[in-house]
Amino acid sequence: MSTAATDPDLAGDGAPPQGFIRRAMRHRAFVIGFALTGGMVLSALVSLLWTPHSPTEIIIANRLKPPTAVHWLGTDQFGRDILSMIMAGAQTSIVVGLIAVSLGGIFGLALGLWAAARRGWTEDLIMRLSDLTFAFPVILIAILLTAGWGPGITNAILALGVINIPIFARLVRGTGIAMWEREFVQAARSAGKGRVRITFEHILPNITSVVVVQATISFAIAILAEAALSYLGVGSQPPDPSWGRMLSESQNFIFLSPLIAVWPGLAIVLSVLGLNLMGDGLRDLLDPRLARQR
Amino acid sequence: MALLAVRDLTVDLQTTRGVARAVRGVSFELAKGGTLGVVGESGCGKSITALALMGLLPEGARTSGRIDLDGTDLLSLGEDALCGMRGNRIAMIFQEPMTSLNPVHRIGRQIAEPLRQHRGLRGAKARAEAIRLLDRVGLPNAAQRVDAYPHQLSGGQRQRVMIAMALSCDPDILIADEPTTALDVTIQGQILDLINELVDESGMALILISHDLGVIAETTDDVVVMYGGSLVEHGPTDSLFDTLAHPYSQGLFAAIPDIGGRHDRRLTTIPGTVPELADLPPGCPFADRCPLAADDCWSTEPPMRQVLPGHQAACLRLEAAAAGRANGGRGDD
Repeated sequence: MSTAATDPDLAGDGAPPQGFIRRAMRHRAFVIGFALTGGMVLSALVSLLWTPHSPTEIIIANRLKPPTAVHWLGTDQFGRDILSMIMAGAQTSIVVGLIAVSLGGIFGLALGLWAAARRGWTEDLIMRLSDLTFAFPVILIAILLTAGWGPGITNAILALGVINIPIFARLVRGTGIAMWEREFVQAARSAGKGRVRITFEHILPNITSVVVVQATISFAIAILAEAALSYLGVGSQPPDPSWGRMLSESQNFIFLSPLIAVWPGLAIVLSVLGLNLMGDGLRDLLDPRLARQR
Repeated sequence: MALLAVRDLTVDLQTTRGVARAVRGVSFELAKGGTLGVVGESGCGKSITALALMGLLPEGARTSGRIDLDGTDLLSLGEDALCGMRGNRIAMIFQEPMTSLNPVHRIGRQIAEPLRQHRGLRGAKARAEAIRLLDRVGLPNAAQRVDAYPHQLSGGQRQRVMIAMALSCDPDILIADEPTTALDVTIQGQILDLINELVDESGMALILISHDLGVIAETTDDVVVMYGGSLVEHGPTDSLFDTLAHPYSQGLFAAIPDIGGRHDRRLTTIPGTVPELADLPPGCPFADRCPLAADDCWSTEPPMRQVLPGHQAACLRLEAAAAGRANGGRGDD
């Protein structure tokens, strides 16, 4: 699609889609983050079709085994295979992260764009409502929801989604307002465009990178929060595998078999680290100013 | 009848220091095909006047007076009606070509915007028209450049693109707010020539805002000089530049560096700074910087007085100013 712009006598060559992959390959943090995130996604996908053992099969005779050739990461207090549980647990983390971030992202983006375009009392109302949501910690919202509808993964996702709405709304409003002050928006307005068209054609494309970066960070936070909620017993329920619940259950056996706490912890650390590194990398790579200098 | 008639335009802006009256009782007219220069220092209200004409004043601004375009008062129009005017009947080009184009869209698409908006042109037709416009404003290789991104063009080329965008719907009035200030000197001349050429060719009226008196003198039929939000002098370009009735106009002229002059001499300036619009004193806004200020200048707001037919200046001491000019010339030679 961009062949016409590759006219050799044109000045620079950093048009947004071009050279992105090449620059990405040279960005070390992005490559590491991408590899870690890719590993998580891959293990979740593989676990849909195959795991070394069943992640839910209980064999009491095999309980608390150290890593062996059969059970690579050992077994837990019920004799379940830890590697299989970690792989299946990645599913939970990804589903929770994706839905929560999409929920927060879509609603937050819409509200933020609206606030930036309308200003005045609309903006005040949206922002004060955001402040209100910020006042409740995510754990509290999740506990409130579970109190009403009972514990479960759906309520955990809902709580995480709700908490993400004001985060996105604020970010989008802030960068959006800055974008509305830019000369090209003024030029667009003097060409006779209305607020809605300017929002979609000029504001949105110019804040995409900020939103993408926030999405990776929110994803990482959602994984941590899901682990925390499951740890507290208000997240995913047994026997669904979850990294947070593996961690909470392992603490009773930490002196008998310390490794069973290490594995889910490591899985959480690596996936959160991966998403954060990828977010940082994306921020650098998507910044048009950095893209232009080579 | 004049195409554009501005009557007693007043603009109040909300600032952190309170309400600032950025434009105070400005009146002028612009005939069809006429050219008007607006001169003054930074912060004198030039750009705010232009934005008021476009209906693009910042949030919270309050206006009074009238801006009649062909008998329609623009100040009374709602946002939708204004959107139909902007880019269609009044177009504007800005000072900063480097940032006036959206970095994420190809320039062809951006030029076609007003065409889509006001003329309903789509697809290949809009593209062909964009190429024609780019060609018209002298962008070489227009058929290929139409797919370029803004950062692939130089400042002068981007300003040409902005001009093409402004011209796309054949506006009645083109407002150019310091169109050459951000460009190299060599490019400035080319862009001004282009604007002049297009104005002659299409018969649209031009409002050229600049602090560069040379640019104004070359380009416009009429000039208004603004200071502290008010018009201080208004007249045909030749008459105004010959007479320089207002002490502020004289000061502006004296401040032009003399290239042929001696190099060890300091540049001439007008002492003091532009007054804060939020707390402008009563009387003449220029009084505290004026070499001729007398006691009543501090208390009486000077009325517009006729210098020559069609040429007015707002000064209580026009006679003293004329005498000073006769004796001292520009005051620096």
